[in-house]
Amino acid sequence: MILRRRKALAFKRDGDRTTVLLGTDERDLVADLARQFHAVVADDEDPHLTRLYPTAYVDDDERQDDYAALVHDDLVRTRLGAADVVMATAWAESLDDEELAAWMQVLNGLRLLLGTRLDVSEEDEFDPDAPEAPQRALLAWLGFLLEEAVGSASDG
Amino acid sequence: MSPAPTTTERPDIDFGLDEDSSTDRPWIVLVWNDPINLMSYVSFVFQKLFGYSKEKADRLMLDVHQKGRAVVSGGTREKAEMDVFRLHEHGLWATLQRDDQ
Repeated sequence: MILRRRKALAFKRDGDRTTVLLGTDERDLVADLARQFHAVVADDEDPHLTRLYPTAYVDDDERQDDYAALVHDDLVRTRLGAADVVMATAWAESLDDEELAAWMQVLNGLRLLLGTRLDVSEEDEFDPDAPEAPQRALLAWLGFLLEEAVGSASDG
Repeated sequence: MSPAPTTTERPDIDFGLDEDSSTDRPWIVLVWNDPINLMSYVSFVFQKLFGYSKEKADRLMLDVHQKGRAVVSGGTREKAEMDVFRLHEHGLWATLQRDDQ
């Protein structure tokens, strides 16, 4: 896991809602990433998606198969639904708690997908010259947004 | 596997269920460390799903981080499986198993 510090720059708790402080470019990026997340989850083919559907029964293949058959479609559906909410509210002035939860689910899902693709470890340090530096920067930015969202959700 | 019963005085047609529900050993839910999830997010999820205080959720989160895993809930297999599902829904790496302790 990774420890991050809170800076109130992206989301701000305001009564029972959360004000979104992002600029237009950032909102465009959030909407585009949510659209891509929706496409990848709906396609259900990307090998890095396995991290979004962990094994529940490590030592029992039969129960694991039953579990996966039971929950997989539900997990797909809630993620697609969350991506829809983020696309619909990317330019909203503020979010209710349900919308904020959808944002958190998509931000975390994107981080899991991207982090698995990059094969990140806790010891990694950012190297601006590395070929995957843009993806690493995106992962860090998604982490910043999620940290901010957790802060606002915790203040609710 | 136990041998087939030779008497029928107490037929046990739901032995599969029996094995799960009436055992003295409950099931436990484990959350495993991973290099992607944020510490604050993991603690937040524990508070949200299980109603734990921030202190308890932070302690469990630190256990996951430092020891590689922590038992976060438990009970019947059905309850443990539901907890695992909700953790998976929130992107955490969770498994369930019989409590061997």
